[in-house]
Amino acid sequence: MAHRWGMVIDLDRCTGCEACIVACHAENNIATVGAKEAARGRAMHWIRVERTWDGEFPNARLQYRPVPCQQCDAAPCEPVCPTYASYHNADGLNEQVYNRCIGTRYCANACPYTVRVFNWFDPVWEKPLQLQLNPDVSTREEGVMEKCTFCRQRIQAVEIQAQEQKREIKDQEFNPACVQTCPSGAMVFGDLDDPASQVFQLSRSLRAGTLLTELGTLPKVIYLQRESSHGDQ
Amino acid sequence: MDNLHAHTITTVPRRGCRRLVGLIALVAVGVLAFFLLGPFRSRLKSFPVYRFAAGSTVGFVSAATSPIFTSVNPSFLDSVRAFFLVRTNPTQPIAFTHKVHLKNGLQCVACHAGVTKGPDAGLPSVVFCMACHQVVDTSSPQIKKLTAYYNKGQEPPWQPVYWFYPMEHVHFQHAPHIHAGVACATCHGDLSQQTVAVRSKNLTMNFCLTCHKQKGASVDCTTCHY
Amino acid sequence: MKRRDFLRLSALGGAAVPLGGCGKRAATQLIRFIPKENLIPGIAVWKPGVCNQCAAGCGLQVRIMEGNAEVVENGQLGIMLMGLAKKLEGSPQHPVNQGKLCVRGQAGLQVTYNPDRIQQPLQRVGARGSAQFAPISWDEALQTLATQLRPLAVAPAAAGLAFLTAPLHGQRGVLIERFLSAFPGAQLVPFELFDDNVLRRANALSFGYDQLPSFDLAHANWVISFGADFLGTWNSPVAQSLGYGAMRQSRSGVRGKFVAVEPRTSQTGANADEWIPAHPGTEGTLALGFAHVILAEHLGNAAAAGTAGARLAGWDQGLPDYTPEAVAWQTGVPPATITRLAREMATTSPALALVGGAPLAHTNGLFTALAVNALNALLGSVGKPGGLYFTPPLPAAFPQPGGSPAAGAAPVVALAQRILAGQSPRLLLLDQVNPVFATPPLWRVRHALEQIPFIASFSNFLDETTSLADLILPDHSSLESWVAEIPESGTAEAVVSLAPPAVLPLHNTRAMPDVLLALAQRLGGRSAAALPWKSFDAMLQADLAPLRSHASSVAATSADDFWKNVTAQGGWWAATPPAPPRLPANPGPPAQPQAPQFDGAATDFPFYFLPYASQQFFDGRFANLPWMQELPDVITTGMWTCWVEINPQTAAKLQIAQGDLLEVASQHGTLRAPAVIVPGLAPDVLAMPVGQGHDQYGRYAQGRGVNPLQILAPQVEPATGSLAWGATRVKLTRVRAGQGELILYSGGPTELSKQRFSR
Repeated sequence: MAHRWGMVIDLDRCTGCEACIVACHAENNIATVGAKEAARGRAMHWIRVERTWDGEFPNARLQYRPVPCQQCDAAPCEPVCPTYASYHNADGLNEQVYNRCIGTRYCANACPYTVRVFNWFDPVWEKPLQLQLNPDVSTREEGVMEKCTFCRQRIQAVEIQAQEQKREIKDQEFNPACVQTCPSGAMVFGDLDDPASQVFQLSRSLRAGTLLTELGTLPKVIYLQRESSHGDQ
Repeated sequence: MDNLHAHTITTVPRRGCRRLVGLIALVAVGVLAFFLLGPFRSRLKSFPVYRFAAGSTVGFVSAATSPIFTSVNPSFLDSVRAFFLVRTNPTQPIAFTHKVHLKNGLQCVACHAGVTKGPDAGLPSVVFCMACHQVVDTSSPQIKKLTAYYNKGQEPPWQPVYWFYPMEHVHFQHAPHIHAGVACATCHGDLSQQTVAVRSKNLTMNFCLTCHKQKGASVDCTTCHY
Repeated sequence: MKRRDFLRLSALGGAAVPLGGCGKRAATQLIRFIPKENLIPGIAVWKPGVCNQCAAGCGLQVRIMEGNAEVVENGQLGIMLMGLAKKLEGSPQHPVNQGKLCVRGQAGLQVTYNPDRIQQPLQRVGARGSAQFAPISWDEALQTLATQLRPLAVAPAAAGLAFLTAPLHGQRGVLIERFLSAFPGAQLVPFELFDDNVLRRANALSFGYDQLPSFDLAHANWVISFGADFLGTWNSPVAQSLGYGAMRQSRSGVRGKFVAVEPRTSQTGANADEWIPAHPGTEGTLALGFAHVILAEHLGNAAAAGTAGARLAGWDQGLPDYTPEAVAWQTGVPPATITRLAREMATTSPALALVGGAPLAHTNGLFTALAVNALNALLGSVGKPGGLYFTPPLPAAFPQPGGSPAAGAAPVVALAQRILAGQSPRLLLLDQVNPVFATPPLWRVRHALEQIPFIASFSNFLDETTSLADLILPDHSSLESWVAEIPESGTAEAVVSLAPPAVLPLHNTRAMPDVLLALAQRLGGRSAAALPWKSFDAMLQADLAPLRSHASSVAATSADDFWKNVTAQGGWWAATPPAPPRLPANPGPPAQPQAPQFDGAATDFPFYFLPYASQQFFDGRFANLPWMQELPDVITTGMWTCWVEINPQTAAKLQIAQGDLLEVASQHGTLRAPAVIVPGLAPDVLAMPVGQGHDQYGRYAQGRGVNPLQILAPQVEPATGSLAWGATRVKLTRVRAGQGELILYSGGPTELSKQRFSR
């Protein structure tokens, strides 16, 4: 059965703790670029927590928003890739095939959410940090584009298991690393096509919306708005 | 007049030919400089590194321990080999013969125990070999080599025969293939005829896809490349 | 043509050479040792663990996969196939974190696999403090230390041995106490920068519990936090985050309101529905302002607050000094806001108040804590659903560290003073602390420690304090050790988080508890008698045995079975009866209104200085982890750097632009750091994250940024001696335009700077 993997992020629960960012780094062998490259805007965070300020002191309010790859159903990064390294699979995921990528970076240019990061250099790990690398995830070399994959390796593992046991994947059977670690339970992951799934139920909330909807990218990360950002003043 | 004309005809091509050769040489130097000093200059340095086979953690290591690990090729020559997907048959420390072991009734799974459980087939530890070879065939020079390693507390440095370059980004999973009924010999050849394992089959992507298409298995890119 | 043929042939020949390849690589490889473990390659095994990154004691599941590691065996370098920790997750059944894990917990992997770990015992060879060490064997190291310890075990003189360590929690603390019991006059010196002793003392006075509080946030409907970064770095962050998420959106039609009182938008405060910037140190006054309104409008009963109320002068009279107007004048919060919020919290039940962090790091910290406790008691939140409670104690038969679990800065200050007065201990043992980094220079901790004749450290990193050591006996990392932690808060059950090592040791290190046990055996006599166990896990098994008879989540048919199940589960937990409150016999007179005292006159030093516990480094201990250095700061997005946070209006007035280099000066020191404009910051406050500015501590931490603790005044909260790190005033000068000192993570396109949602 084909799935439509999606995510709901409840901004009323998100506390901005950034546990999702480090969990993603640990799970996906993301390189640490160092101070010099970070200063050039080349830090490689597959998920980032945006903060937006509204208003002036004493009414200045801050809003957090975790932004992973939105896995758009009409992804603008897909048609621009000359080697078909960025494509849409049957489960609704926007996949990145590293060995097809020749580093034109058109996809990053096209992505309105700037969730794609490029390997400007070969990643290095000062020994023995490389012992922590996840063998289920490729390490990407210089010249290759990468981005959040909704933890493709976890999806793969569960699909293989379900196939061998000749059953369907159950809701909440697995989660990407970010969702699993989120202490306030702000992130929920699952099959948007499964009406019994938590993610489907939450996506019907009155607070639900998506980012840059007007661009028509059909993102599959649904955000539940914070209920009241301002006091009763 | 004739002399002048002939002179003109014969010297122009020679000078032009030299210019052409000079131009080609210049371009070649430029390309070489680009490769050596440009984006690939990191590959010039001989980083002794770990190299991962797809999904497995067995790899080559160099004796000089650099403080840095990178996931790509240790030297420029290695990167050229990787680019052309050159895979040579390695030299093994001990001339292990599959033929003999299989003839004596040992199943593939006995030594390559991981093959039904996960992505990697795995290699047995020398401890496993010694379970039999403490008494079996101890006079053979190969067994003597094996025992020497064991007595030193070391594993023989087996070299992988089948592996993927990191840049191929392949995650091959043995277990689903075994469970789907694929025989070991399909991809690894008939080992009952091999002594030291060699790459008897060229495991190109085409090889994999042919079977996948025949069996109706997924041919989605990210089934294997993720 | 001959030339062309030559060129063609040489090109082809040249290309063939690299493609040929040779199988001679075998000769240059490292030797491979026989593995000690039997793992299947490519398959992950999950083992229980205990997170040691803070004191919350969360349970872990450690993902172990086989991999090649370079190790040294019997003096030979080689490769060993061993289980490697690949990922940390929260343990789903653990009562504190229930399957979740915070940002620092996730980064724990980089402690074990850090390139700057000390890999074998070291002996000092250069001058003290020069950080020049030479490797020695464990035998030599133990012999040297035993030689130093032996005379101190028999001498009747006091103050021979001092043990400087993190606050004692759990069985590691019990072991240290047992070890020290054999040395007459040994001093235990626990140290913590961001201690919560003021709150513990207040809780003892108000409620009879010398303990950090736990909160039933999941059922609260109205929460006010006075400066407590409870979703980030304070108390039990994961448990509190779990409760917070549930408070907001787990109950159909019910959403708890959250109000934050703080002069600087913290990671926690950013989530608040209302953000109230009271002047630093006036939070207690504000709390009593709320209480005044509640009492005046008969929304609450003064007597209902019991002892907690009685701790404040004027409580029974309705707190006449705390009218909204008077409180507004002191705190800067408008009277209408005070009245409205007071009415809201009194009429929305359950309501809960939290206090921690900066408000307690003032000279009037105890007053503030007592005030908030009284407010809680008035709101009826103590011991009720949706309110605050205290984690019940473990059964009495289970050995725990005696006395108060933490003692902040006072013991190390006292130690330094004694040493400088000429009464130095002969031997100092260091474990899991870095007071040289984490104390103001005016306390002269470094100078004092340099006077001690012999210093031995168990640290596994060369930090500022350990660089003064003469002998280093490096500990394992926590993933390589038996860990037993007792969470002080964050759970309604009594918990012992306990787990065996998840991975084999990577380097030639030894577990510090095992080293103490080995030393005890070598010393013999009373030492050996105090510590009769062969290994730390043997001691843990013995200590836990009494718990078997208590009903718990662990079923067991025998003692061995019990131990097996406890270690497999990652600990022991059970609902035990709450401890009876124990009010102190001499609580002193009720607290009078107290304004905070600051170092530095307001005329010369116009700004309040707020060094805060950063998400990524906490008190500086995680600055050696690259993930933490590259993590964009929650509020400013800064990476690999530090900064001074300044209000936009203040910046405009002083003509300071983002990134400009600023000089911040207190009466006791100056520092320079780039400016970051932060809208959610009071105009008279300058804030800086704590954690950078190490001059030791490895390649990622060293020589990076500045340490704001260096300019702090040595102010203390008088009742507990805790460092009043919020009590320093500073002045500000713009040095020059920025030259790249500030590194911000540029995340997100500008179009997303406004929230735009549509269905």
